[in-house]
Amino acid sequence: MAGATIDHMISLTILIAALLVAMTTYNGMFATAVDYDRNRQVANKAVDLMNTICLSSGNPTDWGETDASLLGFGLQDPEAGGYALSPYSIMRLNTAFNDSQLVYYGGTDTYYNNISTNYGDAILTPIGDCVNYTTAAELLGINGTYGFNVDVTPTLDVTVKQNSTAPNLKLNVTVYGSGMPLSGAALNYYLFHVESGTPCPSITRYPTNPPGVAHTNSSGSVDIEFPIDADSAYSFVVYVSLGGVNGVGYHISNSVDDNTFIVPLIDGYEHGKLNLILAHSGEFLHPGEEATANYNASFYTLTSDFQLQQCVIPNSAGLVNSTAGSYITTQIPASETGLLVISYMANGELGSVIVPWGVGALGVSASFGGDPTGYDFVATELRQVNINDISYHVKVSAWKLGS
Amino acid sequence: MRTVEVLFVIIILLGAFIITTQFAVLPSPSQAFGTNLRELSQSTLETLDAQGTLSETIFKNPLAPAWGDLQKAISASLPPNVVYNLSVYDLSANSQGVVTYQLNHSISDAGFGADSDAASLMLTSPNVTFTQDPQKVGESTEQNITLYILNCSDANGWWITGYTGQSLASDLYDLLSPYFTNTMLVSSTSDLGLLLDGTLLPAGVESVNDAVVVNTFGEAVPIPDDYCVGGSKQNEGYEGGSYAKFCHTLGSLTRQYNWTWVSIVGYPVHYVSNTEEFTGPNDQNGYGIHGMKNVGPAGLTAFLRGLNGEDYSNIDGYLHESVGDVTFNANARKSLNYYGIYPYTTQTSTRALQDSILTRYNLNVNDTELFNRPPLYPTYIPAATYSHDGGGALTAIGLARIPDIRVAALALLMYYQPTVYRSEFGASGTSRLVTLQLGQQGGT
Repeated sequence: MAGATIDHMISLTILIAALLVAMTTYNGMFATAVDYDRNRQVANKAVDLMNTICLSSGNPTDWGETDASLLGFGLQDPEAGGYALSPYSIMRLNTAFNDSQLVYYGGTDTYYNNISTNYGDAILTPIGDCVNYTTAAELLGINGTYGFNVDVTPTLDVTVKQNSTAPNLKLNVTVYGSGMPLSGAALNYYLFHVESGTPCPSITRYPTNPPGVAHTNSSGSVDIEFPIDADSAYSFVVYVSLGGVNGVGYHISNSVDDNTFIVPLIDGYEHGKLNLILAHSGEFLHPGEEATANYNASFYTLTSDFQLQQCVIPNSAGLVNSTAGSYITTQIPASETGLLVISYMANGELGSVIVPWGVGALGVSASFGGDPTGYDFVATELRQVNINDISYHVKVSAWKLGS
Repeated sequence: MRTVEVLFVIIILLGAFIITTQFAVLPSPSQAFGTNLRELSQSTLETLDAQGTLSETIFKNPLAPAWGDLQKAISASLPPNVVYNLSVYDLSANSQGVVTYQLNHSISDAGFGADSDAASLMLTSPNVTFTQDPQKVGESTEQNITLYILNCSDANGWWITGYTGQSLASDLYDLLSPYFTNTMLVSSTSDLGLLLDGTLLPAGVESVNDAVVVNTFGEAVPIPDDYCVGGSKQNEGYEGGSYAKFCHTLGSLTRQYNWTWVSIVGYPVHYVSNTEEFTGPNDQNGYGIHGMKNVGPAGLTAFLRGLNGEDYSNIDGYLHESVGDVTFNANARKSLNYYGIYPYTTQTSTRALQDSILTRYNLNVNDTELFNRPPLYPTYIPAATYSHDGGGALTAIGLARIPDIRVAALALLMYYQPTVYRSEFGASGTSRLVTLQLGQQGGT
């Protein structure tokens, strides 16, 4: 009798142990399945967001070229269609991750968004005209449920360096794509040479038109020499193309102090024109200090074959100072991609600023959206797009908010 | 003995557990996604061809340097952990029209693992121009058919809300002139008078016979002043206090000259318009559009009597019904695709004509009906070309305003059925299919 009882107790113990092991294992499997399903939803959401952002223009479709309120979010270029993004819509995104990244200008008592990390790489947009992350999330229908982030970066990495040993100006252009040097790439380039003048400096373009042409060697680089002094002030821009992939690079060299330059700011839209403010950098960097600079501004529209055509703009030359409220206004076409080249002279020293209207014109990168740090699972989606015929990668990241 | 039984139970339990876990293999949550290779491939192909570079390259000799550039461009575009294979296929069609694909050339940078996906793009050679040449209306029957479009500057339209007769004439000219040897815009009511006299002729045309006359003024029709009260042809335009007589004259001339008279929208010939002649305060259609006189339903009846060779009689009474929404029938849909005209497939018909006019006036519509007749109104025709046994035809588009001029154009094309000669996209050597297969190496 005692033996039977012991047998039953042993078998019961083993049964319970087996059940416990099974339940633990199956629980783990179910948890894995639930996690997988949840991650799959996030991955699908990333694809949805990418499709909406890249393949719809938003509402109104030309919202990047105006300061109109946004009713639907999308970055597609309405004129080009397909995988082409609007060069202007991206410039209306509030890319600042926090308020400390915004730029305050006392002349208009307004905060501005700088899509670039430096001054002088982009025209600054009033924060009131920018589309912020929350608005975009609401328009995409994911506010409070999913977070997202969009990174727009040029496909080709084009770096320009000045060769310091040459008496004449010699620039070295290196082109990389996906970490590899790109040999045989065709280069179209322009140099904007800043020369002193009275009272305003002038800009001489090398060459005038068509642009200079060169090709990269087997290591993806090429030296370009200009018949000007190596110590000159200049801006240089180069467009690179090979087999349907295009990129852009630029380089600026100034003889003037780094803290003196001209900052272009958006001052609204008017009948297809973009009103711009040209402000002295002293107002941003050293408020209260009196400083002046003579400037000469030119706007060049960019054609589809990467040629530049000069466009006449009002108040193209004059004197700008850092006194609060003292600034120059000018206008450029709102729907023409191009480069605003501003030469300036301060205390006899020369410098220049080159900024794009339309991010593709100068290969500007942008990052917009939330911060995925701290989330377990972030799905990413990658596509190729063109912006102003410049090749870009667009990466959309998505993650699930809440538990 | 019981110990042995217990051991058996344990073995069975453990066996069941092990077998179950072997089969229930779930993917790791981190494998829930990888980069969507198909969309990446599609966007890569589209961006490479944005400026036509891909199209140019794939039609070049495989030994051309452009292929090397393309290979470098693809490598530079894709992330380092993504491998690719780009294949180009020739298209060839046999005499039965069956298209076959034959590999022409391919480039790749590595072998693929299990995880790969592909997208494709059909590209046409930049050296090939695809053409579409319409046969001219009347060419097959050796008739010299002229298209006249009423564009009278001294007339107003009605039921063409949002447009003017002149703007519609311009649109219609763009749509239909490729199908006609001669197209003429009738720029005034006096020119219309010349047309009615048979003397308004384009260069090289001997008569107005067999012509198509499109009235772009909607429910109104321009009237030359000769046909108005006090004019030299008043007896052909006005009788018994009504301009329905003019509509009878139009019907008679349509029969005499074997015209096709086209009413683009609404109830045909419901008003007559001449802004120079009808200048009185009451010379308006009742809705504030001046320069016109209301003829009423007697106009269409008079027109049909004229077309049928009957004497004029002023007979009131509408011949239509408002039948609501109608959709294109199969015959019309076939023509839409053939001629590449795509108006919205559902239209509203408020002026569908009763089919009793077919027998009453010796008309037939053959295969020219555009819309399915609504089940509730099986005896009403929303839009068709009514051809008379003795010559002449009336195209009546009984739709509600605002007019879609493409429907009238479609009705005419369905009536005359001109052939369109197209170069084939699938013709050998003109198009190639490019597929880009991408594979991901390493972890996700």
